[in-house]
Amino acid sequence: MMMIFNSIRWRLQIWYGLILLAVLAGFGITAYQLERARLFRGVDDELQHRAGFVLNGLRQSGRNRGPGDGPRRPQFDGPPPADALPFDGPDGRGPEQEPGMPNEFHLPQQQASLSDEADTNGYFYVVWRRDGQQLARSSNAPADIAIPTRDGPPPRPGEAPGPRLLEGTGKYREAAAFTPPGEIVLTGHSIAPELSELHVTALSLTAVGAAIFLLGIAGGWWMVSRAIRPIADISTAAAKISGGDLSQRINVAETESELGRLATVLNSTFARLDTAFTQQRQFTSDAAHELRTPVSVMLTQAQTTLNRERSAAEYREAVESCQRAAQRMRRLIESLLELAKLDAGQQPMKRLPFDLGQTARDCAALVGPLAEQRRVKISCEVPALNCTGDSDRLSQVVTNLVTNAITYNKENGEVRIGGSAKNGSVILTVSDTGMGIAAEDLPHVFDRFYRADKSRTSGNTGLGLAISKAIVEAHGGEIEVSSVPQIGSVFTIRLPTAQS
Amino acid sequence: MRILVVEDEPDLLRNIAQALREEGYAVDTAANGENGLFSAESADYDAVVLDVMMPKMDGWEVLSRLRKTKKTPVLMLTARDQSRDRVRGLDGGADDYVVKPFDLAELFARLRALIRRSAGQTRNVIEIGKVKIDVAARNVARDGEEISLTAREYALLEYLALHRGELVTRTTLYEHLFDENDSTMSNLLDVHVSNLRKKLGAEFISTRRGHGYCIE
Repeated sequence: MMMIFNSIRWRLQIWYGLILLAVLAGFGITAYQLERARLFRGVDDELQHRAGFVLNGLRQSGRNRGPGDGPRRPQFDGPPPADALPFDGPDGRGPEQEPGMPNEFHLPQQQASLSDEADTNGYFYVVWRRDGQQLARSSNAPADIAIPTRDGPPPRPGEAPGPRLLEGTGKYREAAAFTPPGEIVLTGHSIAPELSELHVTALSLTAVGAAIFLLGIAGGWWMVSRAIRPIADISTAAAKISGGDLSQRINVAETESELGRLATVLNSTFARLDTAFTQQRQFTSDAAHELRTPVSVMLTQAQTTLNRERSAAEYREAVESCQRAAQRMRRLIESLLELAKLDAGQQPMKRLPFDLGQTARDCAALVGPLAEQRRVKISCEVPALNCTGDSDRLSQVVTNLVTNAITYNKENGEVRIGGSAKNGSVILTVSDTGMGIAAEDLPHVFDRFYRADKSRTSGNTGLGLAISKAIVEAHGGEIEVSSVPQIGSVFTIRLPTAQS
Repeated sequence: MRILVVEDEPDLLRNIAQALREEGYAVDTAANGENGLFSAESADYDAVVLDVMMPKMDGWEVLSRLRKTKKTPVLMLTARDQSRDRVRGLDGGADDYVVKPFDLAELFARLRALIRRSAGQTRNVIEIGKVKIDVAARNVARDGEEISLTAREYALLEYLALHRGELVTRTTLYEHLFDENDSTMSNLLDVHVSNLRKKLGAEFISTRRGHGYCIE
């Protein structure tokens, strides 16, 4: 049960059902009331007409008794009947006045015929004297009719005082009029046919309402199902991804709906997660991989050496070999830590103005011996390049680039360091005349552990360019490479100029 | 037994070669794939230890080119231990693989098994008459008594025993027992054979004059 109330589908369905029910009930009840009012208004109008007729007849019969009978003359507390009752009777003739009997009132023939059983449609009348004695009644008047009292709501202002409508006793609808002397005129009508008609109306309204309700619920169910189907897709995909299968994507059918947009956003999030995870996994695997070779060296060296007694020179050589391997591991670990810090943004870059040109010249001097050893000529023609940043870290970048340019150069090759400042940024280029980088390797040279030649012997960790890129980017700059195989490569660093 | 080691990390190459030589193998080395392929194609090695990650030509390339001409058993040294890489190596014609970092003892055991299998032997102990040769422990016994042999004598005996019943030419023996740095004199082989005969019995190794030697 809790599940049903927690489910969006069920909650939507229940709310939808309740609202639909309320609308249908309101509509049905209103229709029923209108129909009922319409039916009864006809009856009420007729009753008032007929009460007027009867009063008219009563007044005429009183007038016929002569002026002496003044006190007994019925008087209306309403307007003259001719105004109130502009009724010409069914046959079109006006009410005729005929002599009546005192105390024994009879309606004129024509008016009496209105209450005849033959053509009354169930309308009847009763007239009482003030003392409660029945003065006259139509033949179809029910025997158990009660004398209406004078009490009742006074006529509203503006409303013509006339025969007062009574609610009747269920089966009948009645109108009563009172003469000042005390006669009471009641006209009534059995409403059994109207009630049964209303009953039928109520039944059909209920049936139509129920049908619409069921249709609506079914339609609502269908719509809700359609609407939340993407949610099911999303949650299935998300569950698989949370289970570790990062290659899962949500199947997006309509990209423009709200859920479609959500799914698109989620998909791109998943894709980024996937890429990040893959990179992370690759990085970890590469890092472990990089450590395997030096560990192999140490292990095999130690095992070989320990196999038997060795001379002092052999031990020395073994230890030196282990030292080389250990230093290689240390370099790798330092690089890894540096990258990790750069990744986490933990290594704050100093923001001090310095001359990048001077830094480049210092680096060129620093790697001079290496260049000499490799017979590579370094030319450094850099103007003063004022920028802001961490000169130590940027010097590391330049040294790395120049060292690479020497290492991958050909014999008697050249390394050229150049620089310029324009458009609010300073540019430093390091170009070599080496073997160049193949086009397929070019997009990857800044990737971690990427090596174009797949070898591990150059003594590089494979992280140098990745670290350089991270440092330059931490300064808000960028680093690029272009290369022509067999001609050489050009690395370009672009940094924002110092803000003065 | 002559083994070629192809490895681009100089210290590792030197270590493996030294350890194998001390195990009595004749060892040639190559520091990159191109040289390794050239050596492997030009001589009959009993096994090749081949690193995967190398400059110029990687181990996979060397292997696939070598397999076009030679059936030499190849043991790959790989730094990647993902099964994808192992499958690739074995499917590419490698006979075995060892993941770095490895124990030398394991490398040796795998090499012995490779060499034994390629000679059609399934067991580590070869019995020829009264002589029992344990290839794993590298010792020889006659009538249950251990006989001490020099590394070269043992290598010669092992090669002949593994190719028992075959005529082994002097050239083949030179190729498999001496590496390219050995400047052997032609009578050195005769000296080893005569020493073996003294220790195991004169008729243990028969000579086919002008052709070579054979263990029946």
